[in-house]
Amino acid sequence: MISCQNFRTMLAPGTDDPSLLRHLRTCEACLDYAIGIDADLLFRSLGGEELVPPGGVDAFAADVMQQVRVRQAEGQVVAHHGAPGWPRRLAIAAVVAAGFSTSTLVYLNRQPTVSNPLSAIAVRPAAQVSFENAKLTTKPVVESYSSDNATIVEMAAEGPNDAKVVMIFDEKLPADL
Amino acid sequence: MTLKRTSVIAIVLLLAAASGFAEPAPAGDAGKALSVRSFQFKYKDADKAAAMIKALVSPDGSISIQPSTNSLVVTDRAENLKNIAVALTKFDAPARALKLSVRLVGAARVEPQKATPVSDDLKDVALKLSMLRFNAFEDLGSSAVDGKEGDPGIVELASGYRADFRFGEYDPASDSIKINDFKLARLQGPKKDQLTPLLKTSLNLKVGQTVILGASKVPQSERALMIVVVARR
Repeated sequence: MISCQNFRTMLAPGTDDPSLLRHLRTCEACLDYAIGIDADLLFRSLGGEELVPPGGVDAFAADVMQQVRVRQAEGQVVAHHGAPGWPRRLAIAAVVAAGFSTSTLVYLNRQPTVSNPLSAIAVRPAAQVSFENAKLTTKPVVESYSSDNATIVEMAAEGPNDAKVVMIFDEKLPADL
Repeated sequence: MTLKRTSVIAIVLLLAAASGFAEPAPAGDAGKALSVRSFQFKYKDADKAAAMIKALVSPDGSISIQPSTNSLVVTDRAENLKNIAVALTKFDAPARALKLSVRLVGAARVEPQKATPVSDDLKDVALKLSMLRFNAFEDLGSSAVDGKEGDPGIVELASGYRADFRFGEYDPASDSIKINDFKLARLQGPKKDQLTPLLKTSLNLKVGQTVILGASKVPQSERALMIVVVARR
């Protein structure tokens, strides 16, 4: 057992020196002193003398190694039965991929039109609607009117040269128009 | 080793998936290549041109407006760009000369024995309006305004009515001329110096077609104001 003076001389923060820790467990004064230098020394000093497992260290180590070997053997068995080797995985993947490709091709070939109907619909008018060949469109005579509450009635003309009558009924209009 | 196996499997699956999803390349795939072309406008606004060609641009194409240079950058297939170029060339024409004739007719429903004979210059209108049971007509004046696309126009009639508007653009697709902000007002008051707004509207007038725009409070009104307009190029 070292003296208090030696202890305090040798003490350094974070020490694991067994003689210092043994001194700490027996000397209250040095414990207070040591905690002031490194509070973790309080916990390092706990535990008492060196622990020896039942049956000795060799028996303990043999048990641990046996458990390690058992776990390794279990892992190998599970791996062997649970996951196929890479040639087998490749074969499975190839079968899945072939099935997927075949079904996709069959689906595409069964479509009566091209596979992207939206683009087909949209492209067709763009290609066909030429400025010169575009049919004449018809617009409403009254495109906008100042009052939202008005009723606008557009009467059909009998021909392109016939006069067209459009009536606006609006409560806000004066009676003596 | 496991990582290597996983990588091999992943690559195989990706290749398979890619082959499954890939669309069969059409024979004319080269024709789908996009081209870019810029159009600068001398007479018309680029944003109006963009609106005009919107329907012509394919789903693969796009339009970019350059306000600083009053131009458009259009990206589309080469074949489609030709149609767009033709349309834009026609669109960017100098302002067209337009003409708007305005005639105001007061229409009323009166007892048949009180109805006066319709004058010759109102017979065309009277015939059309007889189906609305109007049988008395009063000529409130007429005028014609010449102008160009974008020009303002004013019609002042001796009867106290006044109309002002702005010539819009001629639309070849509908063969019509737009009349923007057609505002009708009437001079009222003891001295006939108070201008009372009556209505405001925007019109699409087919070239050469007579349009009778009637206005009244309700369908049963005994009196209505008929604005007879004809737009010409």
